[in-house]
Amino acid sequence: MSAFSREDGIYSLDLTIDEAHILINLVEQLLELLGEGDFNHHYDESDPFAQLMAQLKAAPEEVVVPEDPVLLRLLPNAYADPEAAADFRRYTEPTLRGKKKRTLAQVRSALEIIVDEDRAGVVDDLDSEVWLMAINDLRLALSVRLEINPESFELFEALADEEPQKAIYAVYFWLGWLQESLLNLLAQG
Amino acid sequence: MATDTMIESDLDISQLVDKPWVTIVWDDPVNLMSYVTFVFIKLFGFTQERAHELMMQVHNEGRAAVSTGSREEMERDVQRLHEHGLWATLQRDDKF
Repeated sequence: MSAFSREDGIYSLDLTIDEAHILINLVEQLLELLGEGDFNHHYDESDPFAQLMAQLKAAPEEVVVPEDPVLLRLLPNAYADPEAAADFRRYTEPTLRGKKKRTLAQVRSALEIIVDEDRAGVVDDLDSEVWLMAINDLRLALSVRLEINPESFELFEALADEEPQKAIYAVYFWLGWLQESLLNLLAQG
Repeated sequence: MATDTMIESDLDISQLVDKPWVTIVWDDPVNLMSYVTFVFIKLFGFTQERAHELMMQVHNEGRAAVSTGSREEMERDVQRLHEHGLWATLQRDDKF
């Protein structure tokens, strides 16, 4: 299975073409959900993952608590008190959203090179912390759609292979494994 | 006696004008334990041991206070935790 590696302080990620496609699809869908649609996306409507991040309705003009639970998880309330939370969100959410979009866009650019050449490839000299945060946001987004809880792994294992959810669970657990491989390298300092 | 009273009243006033705020990190079933520890070290400069201890507190007790200070400082900490995908809120210290 593909994993992150490091040589002389340079991080890289070895991916099969299928893995690169899955990653760029998820990254692009999450970018769109966050309100960034200014790129040619790599997935078509028949893609089993294409509807995963589909937004429930058009984003509102003003900064309000998101209706989509994925957005609410990525852009959470900072206060228990709704009024204080709304005030804080008004001033800070555009910045937070912007940072998440930039992080995902960096990962997308790196993946695009591999995907457009349609070959298995290595993402070389990658920004380890950018990738760590992007993978984490993808896991958070998928976890909301899959309603992940502490019993999810047993549930996933019990699912029949032909269940459509099974493939999405598999991607979720793969991303966790990938993130752990990067964290292991980072922990070695 | 007089001195004692003065000190006590000084303390009361300082608590009223500078009530500390606290940043709370809440447990979730998604963020990896190693990731939460990594983020605590990165954002707050904790030792590995302290970061691990706080991560375990989040995991076992459902939440942990990771920083205290002025409201502005805690808002900045919450924002940075949200950037990293951790579920964090801030509140007055006395409510925790």
